[in-house]
Amino acid sequence: METTAQTTISRRDPGQVMRLDRLGSLHQCRLSFMRVLTRRMARENWSFARPKFDIDANGVGVAVYTATGPARTYSLVAFAHDLPPEMRSDRVIATAWDATFTLFDGIPTGDDIERLSQNVPHQEAGRVNEKSLSVSRANRSVRLWAHFVDALSQGRQPDPEQVDAVGYLMRTTAVYGSGKLGAADREAIADRPELNAPFQAEMLSVFLTRAFVRDLVEHMARAKGGDQAVRLAPETAKRLGIGNSTGLGMAPYIVNHPVLFNNWIMAREEAIARVRSVETASEAEVACFRRMLRRSELSVARWRSEHPVQIDKLADLNADLEALSARVAAEDLIGDHPWDRLVRWSETALTLEGQELVASLILEPYSELVDGLSDCMADANKDAFLIDGAMPVAQVRDLIATSFAWAFDLDWEARENCARAWYVSEEKLEPRMGERFEEPIAPYEQPLAPARDAAAAHAALADWDGAAPIAEFLLRHPEHRHTVRRAQMTQVAPYGEIRDNTISDRVLPIDMLRAKLAFFGATHFDPRSDRWVRICMYSGAPYPEELSPDTADLWVYPEVDQ
Amino acid sequence: MSFALNEIEATAKRATRGAGYDWGLAEDASKAVRWLCAQGLDGAGALAALLSLGFAADLLCHRPRSLGGAWRGEEALCPLTTGAALSDCASQLAQAPIQMGPVAQPLLVLSFAAMAARRLKGCVTVTAEGFSAVTDGAAIQITGDLPDSTADLQVAAGGVLEAPRSGQSRAEPDAAAWDTLNQFAHKTYAPATEQSRLLGAGAGLSDND
Repeated sequence: METTAQTTISRRDPGQVMRLDRLGSLHQCRLSFMRVLTRRMARENWSFARPKFDIDANGVGVAVYTATGPARTYSLVAFAHDLPPEMRSDRVIATAWDATFTLFDGIPTGDDIERLSQNVPHQEAGRVNEKSLSVSRANRSVRLWAHFVDALSQGRQPDPEQVDAVGYLMRTTAVYGSGKLGAADREAIADRPELNAPFQAEMLSVFLTRAFVRDLVEHMARAKGGDQAVRLAPETAKRLGIGNSTGLGMAPYIVNHPVLFNNWIMAREEAIARVRSVETASEAEVACFRRMLRRSELSVARWRSEHPVQIDKLADLNADLEALSARVAAEDLIGDHPWDRLVRWSETALTLEGQELVASLILEPYSELVDGLSDCMADANKDAFLIDGAMPVAQVRDLIATSFAWAFDLDWEARENCARAWYVSEEKLEPRMGERFEEPIAPYEQPLAPARDAAAAHAALADWDGAAPIAEFLLRHPEHRHTVRRAQMTQVAPYGEIRDNTISDRVLPIDMLRAKLAFFGATHFDPRSDRWVRICMYSGAPYPEELSPDTADLWVYPEVDQ
Repeated sequence: MSFALNEIEATAKRATRGAGYDWGLAEDASKAVRWLCAQGLDGAGALAALLSLGFAADLLCHRPRSLGGAWRGEEALCPLTTGAALSDCASQLAQAPIQMGPVAQPLLVLSFAAMAARRLKGCVTVTAEGFSAVTDGAAIQITGDLPDSTADLQVAAGGVLEAPRSGQSRAEPDAAAWDTLNQFAHKTYAPATEQSRLLGAGAGLSDND
């Protein structure tokens, strides 16, 4: 991390930050992976092209979009399909999609495209090689797609209300990276500066996918309407994002990658601490904050959900925004650590949604304090995996207690505390969460209950000599090995453990999904049940040909009419 | 077929768990197999052969009885429990060499010696009859052959890495071994039921709108 920034206010305590209800209230910020990517591409003056667009009047064919940075070119290879409506499903168990993609490392030859065309459309049933950096697929929003094609083909622009109600023409239903289906490993590309920050290949894939979807809907309108058809108005195109359906499969990710997840959280917490440590804000910084607050209000006003949990959270957030607006209208926010005062006020006056919005928003005026932290968000510390067997038992007990003391007295036999079990289904190798006492899944349980396992390990360690090396314990108790490893990891990853019960009868996997997706930079979280969520990505962003330093960063906040 | 190293790692982890090992050892096994494959060694084959021995059913017989003196078990040592202990005991290795054996599928021990080397930030040398290997944790050089069943090994801190094997970014496991690993991995998958299909993945509002 940069060492120049002085912080007089320390980072928030992991015990405060790492609760599921707070993680489930996170919002995007300057460190979100989409914004990190668009800022870099603009700064480095990347160029974009569409060398191939062979798509017929039925919307079937292939297109290639290239993105060229200082050292390398990446290509989105997009296959468009004519999908019968009954086959359209966002679930991972689907076998066909409206469009399928791979992000190709370089510029594909005709032979490459031919090979990819035999595999990418089949997704999990196909194979790619190390020239592919991601594999993904997308389905149309049926109602919005039809409306767009109809309107544009007849020379009209789509109805803005319908655009706002859905937000995207296509939603991705999986974006696979890092070795999946034979693609390149993360390790093979992690030392490229442009791909070092987390999920940059996947974010680039989605950025280019958005351009393809816009081009495809215009193409289909032309095929239908001929000379009558018009192009999509730029302001409407800009509003469109790419939807995404994220299911349970993503929830275990943040438990399975404690050091990586720590690095995301810690970078944001460090950014918050730096800004809270600012003694005096300038007029320009305060004006920036106020502008972003107004634009956030508009974004929240466009956020729709039918899910009862999110409906309540949105009501809370709207009330929080009112209180926040009143608060910042009543003072100049200039002296006496204004951002720290605002954060401390938010902790007494706002719900978690509002508190986390404030924490993200105060970062906006301070690119120089915040943006460099994105270099610290990858996980380069592979040796954190290695167990120090010489560590005394007493120290391991202390490490476990630091994250999980609250779990020691919980009755882990009680049904409500272990009602759920995470498992992988035979059918599609898809992570699922089931009812431990109603389904025969316990023998297949995945290690996704760190709190329960920590309590068990701590109990098993109770009778051991505190001075004994932990290696002796592990030789006799290999069943606690994963817990001891995680406990030692917390020495470098204090934000690596969720301080909540991930198998209780009240756990909401959507909280874990939201935490991850907020770091991607997603907005407008729309849970569709307690375990899958729809989001929108890149809404408001420039298209590749519009990307510039002026448009690259604040696009996530809709512009307010003057 | 060419596989990404992440695929190798994921399958090795599931296979080890499916063969009855605890999750922590399955994690170590998956890193070990990945590391061997990255050296161009047949990690998948060694793990498949090991899991087929069924040690997990009676693992206490296949671990060192004690971490003091020479490491001996009631029966042939499991390279995963023994290897994990070796990595854990890296600091002990800095004091004196560790003798161990007989060890089944000793190739797997090499990657744990590499983990110990990473912890020690120096080289570790593994020797057996007619065999020697030196690793700095990142790369390895090998002279001679390891028996694929059991061997008595000496592991010591030190050694010089003069001619490391070239690293690999992909793996091409033997088809039969890969099949074996997938059969073990399959044991970790819960049979699908209609209830789990509906509830487990969280179907809710329509996903086709």
